[in-house]
Amino acid sequence: MTMQAQRIEISRIRESRGPDLRGLSRAIWQICQAVLVLGLFALLIWRGAQSMEYNWQWYRIQPFFYRVIDGELIWGPLIKGLMVTLQLAALSGVITIAIGLATALMRLSDSISGRVISKVYLEAIRNTPLLVQLFLFYFVLAPIFGIDRFWAGVLCLSFFEGSFASEIIRGGIVGVDRGQYEAADAIGLNRYNKFRHVVIPQSLPMILPPLTGVMISLIKHSAIVSVIAVSELTTAGLNLISDTFMAFEVWFLVAGIYLAVTISLSVGVSVLEVFLNKNKR
Amino acid sequence: MTLIDILAFSAVLGLIVFAVYRVNEVLVYNWDWSRVLSYILRVDDETGQYAANLLLYGLATTLRLAVWGTVLASVFGVVMGLWRTSDNLTLRILSRSYVELIRNLPPLVFIFIFYFFVSSQMFPAMGIDNINPDNAAVDNRVFRLLFGDPQLLPNFLAGALCLALFEGAYITEIVRAGIQSIAKGQWEAARAIGLSRFNVLRDVILPQALRRILPPLAGQFITLIKDSAIVSLISIQELTFMATEVAATTTKVFETWILVGGIYFVLCYSFALFFGTLERRASKTRR
Repeated sequence: MTMQAQRIEISRIRESRGPDLRGLSRAIWQICQAVLVLGLFALLIWRGAQSMEYNWQWYRIQPFFYRVIDGELIWGPLIKGLMVTLQLAALSGVITIAIGLATALMRLSDSISGRVISKVYLEAIRNTPLLVQLFLFYFVLAPIFGIDRFWAGVLCLSFFEGSFASEIIRGGIVGVDRGQYEAADAIGLNRYNKFRHVVIPQSLPMILPPLTGVMISLIKHSAIVSVIAVSELTTAGLNLISDTFMAFEVWFLVAGIYLAVTISLSVGVSVLEVFLNKNKR
Repeated sequence: MTLIDILAFSAVLGLIVFAVYRVNEVLVYNWDWSRVLSYILRVDDETGQYAANLLLYGLATTLRLAVWGTVLASVFGVVMGLWRTSDNLTLRILSRSYVELIRNLPPLVFIFIFYFFVSSQMFPAMGIDNINPDNAAVDNRVFRLLFGDPQLLPNFLAGALCLALFEGAYITEIVRAGIQSIAKGQWEAARAIGLSRFNVLRDVILPQALRRILPPLAGQFITLIKDSAIVSLISIQELTFMATEVAATTTKVFETWILVGGIYFVLCYSFALFFGTLERRASKTRR
């Protein structure tokens, strides 16, 4: 029986016979079971961590985040790394949207050059690994065009995510009903006004939530530029490990920071999505 | 061809010409494709015949990783996907946290954490490090075809398991979508004729869901080929790792990375075309 059917049935029973004791006891049993199993899990992990031949030094982590010297606050390597990660993500986010928009418009256009160029770009990005793209940008394109490593990383990420962004933007534009275009033409709007007043207001709610998803995956994928030693969060973590040999603590901290950022952004996106859908009636 | 087309194409051409000019005149780069190509196939000094070299070995490992990774990831994915749609709260919590954990972590960070845990803690405990590479059960043709060099077995297993855990999260979502896309009437009808939950899944839901799962699963196989590049960072000796070695030994950085990018492109693109034809044929026969 599916969840929804179950729920409907439960409410029906409740209406006819007062409080549903069986459903309630089942729910309590499920919660107890979850607490038990997850507790056992946590215990096993804790015991496993204790029995490992590893010197856990969680008390040493505070200076990784910040230090106070002479009453002055100095950010630690992890916070500085996070700042660079966010900066990287923001910069390539802007370029990603530009590339995505340009590619989407080129794909939708009638011109041969637009379709050929966008097709070549999309297939090239889709069918090669991000790491190989990064090496191509850093080892091949960067020396040719004289780009430094930070911008090589930014551009590589933008071109990578741009292929996703273009699909999203194209989907949003195509998703607008044909009749809307025809109606806009019929009342005599020109091309600019048609997009400005009819197409974009309708496609934006379709585009925005998945596009913020692209931003989240940008933050995630930005970790890869640590391979070319851009000093972002993962690089900061790697450096800390080679300084302190606290591999586990540092990796858990780095993972925790990424999780905190990406999960809070995803929650933000779903809130935004609800908000946008509400406006749509 | 309109004026805009000509302008756009000449802009691209101009960029290429500029790049070539920079390489030849400013960087004064000596192209030497034969040295890098000899790392795909080399001429054996003794027999005078062609033999596979580093890059081809790497490509073989990449394909093995992709196949084993997909198989393992499908197992994780089906189990977790069933848990995800289960009525049991505990199973739902476990599978949901697995999926969210993997999907919200950078692949790089996941791989490093996995590597530290599995290679330094789990594998020694499981005794995988102690397998004798000269044992006849391990050192034979079939085994070499399936898993590669027995000496690198722990290394290969770490890579395959790591990729499988990673892709498993995505396959979980594919399986969940497949199961949930089956009409509710199918569940109710199956329950109505008295099938148990297990039999409902096995005989009614999964056969229908599988048909919808297969196309995205094929796409995931291509994704896995691409994602396998990242395990080169934990010294799994696949194509990207070998390319790093070749680039370092020959110092022919441009040729190596252009070549390796091309290999990945041909590999993934031909798989994409192949799966596309299969899908079209399947949809034709269904009607």
